[in-house]
Amino acid sequence: MDRGLVTLIGMSIAYVASLLGMGVAWWAWRKRHRGPDEGDR
Amino acid sequence: MANFTALDWFWTGAFLMLMVGGAFFFYRLARRSESDFFLAGRGLPWWLPASSVFSTHTATDTPMWVTGVVYAHGLRGLWYTFFMAWTAIGSFVSARIFRRSLAYTQAEWQVLRFGGLGAELLRGWLAGWQVFMNMFILGWVGMAMGKVCEMAFGWPLWVGLVVPTVITAVYTLAAGYWGVVMGDFLQGIVAIFAIVVVSAAGIAAVGGPDAITARVIELGDAWRLDPLAFTGWFSGDFPAVWWLTMLVIAVIGGFGMGTSIDWYVEAQRIQSAKTVRDAAYGLWAGGAITLVRNAVWAVGILAFFVLAPNISSAAEYELGWFRLGFELLPMGLVGVFFGALLAIHLSTISSHLNLGALYFTRDIYQRYLNPQARERTLVWVGRAATVVLLLGSFFYGLMMEEITQWLIFALWLMMAGIWLPNILQVVWWRFNAWGYLSSWIANLGISWLVVWVLPAFGVLPKLPDYLQFWMLMALGAAIFLPATLLTKAEKMDQLVRFYMMTRPLGWWGPVRREAVRRGLIDEKSTDASASAGRPLIRRTWTAEQAGDWTREDWIVIVLSPLVFAFTLFGLTKLLLLQISGLWLVLAAIAGAAAIYWVIDPKLRAVSEEFETTQTKYLEELERSVRWDDESLGVEG
Repeated sequence: MDRGLVTLIGMSIAYVASLLGMGVAWWAWRKRHRGPDEGDR
Repeated sequence: MANFTALDWFWTGAFLMLMVGGAFFFYRLARRSESDFFLAGRGLPWWLPASSVFSTHTATDTPMWVTGVVYAHGLRGLWYTFFMAWTAIGSFVSARIFRRSLAYTQAEWQVLRFGGLGAELLRGWLAGWQVFMNMFILGWVGMAMGKVCEMAFGWPLWVGLVVPTVITAVYTLAAGYWGVVMGDFLQGIVAIFAIVVVSAAGIAAVGGPDAITARVIELGDAWRLDPLAFTGWFSGDFPAVWWLTMLVIAVIGGFGMGTSIDWYVEAQRIQSAKTVRDAAYGLWAGGAITLVRNAVWAVGILAFFVLAPNISSAAEYELGWFRLGFELLPMGLVGVFFGALLAIHLSTISSHLNLGALYFTRDIYQRYLNPQARERTLVWVGRAATVVLLLGSFFYGLMMEEITQWLIFALWLMMAGIWLPNILQVVWWRFNAWGYLSSWIANLGISWLVVWVLPAFGVLPKLPDYLQFWMLMALGAAIFLPATLLTKAEKMDQLVRFYMMTRPLGWWGPVRREAVRRGLIDEKSTDASASAGRPLIRRTWTAEQAGDWTREDWIVIVLSPLVFAFTLFGLTKLLLLQISGLWLVLAAIAGAAAIYWVIDPKLRAVSEEFETTQTKYLEELERSVRWDDESLGVEG
């Protein structure tokens, strides 16, 4: 298999995992910092 | 195929019981708390993290890799293994700073160094990255064991992948990091014994060290005995500029965190040490033992080259060290050798199982999903995460069978664009979360373009590795520097708190001045202001003086990489009975003694001072992970 293509595959899988982790952090941040008014709605 | 007798199986079983039983013994300690399950309660003396650093980095695929580079390049190939030299400076710079941060993981470090949303996104990013990376490493190391078992016993690949890993998981699940580190200590002893015995058997088979040298010269390959046998400045398969690039990556990388993939594993060992001093010595000694190991291996591999000089297939000669063990050792010792291979394997697997589980438990589950979780719950989540990593590693191992080599390359390359940001996060106060995050994200696109897309369309030629590294670094800087300078600096409250906690090296002038202004640092009592009557090497330190970076640190920073290089090449040459090896080894011993004499009083003072404030910082850290830190005034 082409060396560059495998590089791409390997890196992309790792970055998907990182994006998932960042997504969870973003979700928790939003939940935590939602204003009281917004939270009550 | 190995010829195993009942005696060999006895020795293999005995070693296995010793290693697994010894680790399992610490079950009761691990279940006490999250800190015990993942950091052995932050109470280890330096020699336990040191043995763990060595054992973890002696994986099943390591003999294949070291054999590959030494067989192909001779002694100059040892420079590839000199990547471990990042611990030379790292032990006295980044380890000291990271230990003082008290962060469980490199992901947690982000919210101590940076603040606000950017820091949280970085924490999530690095946690996801590390959960994947540990699963991935488990897969490739497991597959290496599968290949060894296939070569030795003709077993199907999956047997070697699954069975030893499951055995490791039993004690890792039960005893957590306590089991990992105690197992590593036992496994390290077994591994170093086997490495010495197999290399000795190889040397003896050729007829001794002199015979190795004579045969290599007879074969017309005298260059193999020269560690500096470059193929030109820029040309050939080992140009001088590639050697310089590797040195910069490894040695200068010690100023940063994460400049080597190994950093993330070592960060756990650094944090499990009982003081800053133990953390520094643990990492330094672990790195030094690893280089001693490489020297012993190199001579054995040269012996293998002399015995079988015409192997052209990398896949075949990479198994050279295993062949020496299975083919040359007498009955009984083959079983000891296989027991040692299991030791090598178990230590790496257990470390990555526990580390991957740590990132999930501490940085994903506790921080973002259940901040109020009790200690008991966290230990059980750690165990569940260990099982998930175990199963995932089987999947990756089987999937990667054909492409492991390329993915290892990919991982190395992936580090190029973030090598410099990994240093800047430690040494430059103005570097912020957005700059660091942008470097991580940009690195994917840039690497993709430079390594694959542009060469595929003929826009860019296939570049040699050294050029790829420098180009990726420069292109990454073109993105993260504007991202840093066009966004706000971290809040001064955050920076001052971080500065006082870790006392980082580098360009921290504005933060230090603010700390002085707030009365947190008494500048009159620091070393800088008392330089008039200062001895050349200070050996008595106050806490304030020891907190600053002084000439003693810089002496050690210069000496330490030299000691490592002299150790690696001096011992290799000494084992080949070259007199220059003796002088290099003596110089390394003298250098190590000088390092201890210069830095030990200061490290003791730093450790004593920090232990008095550590309890307060730990309480703050626990409040922080539960989102109770708004009252501390560090939110962005």
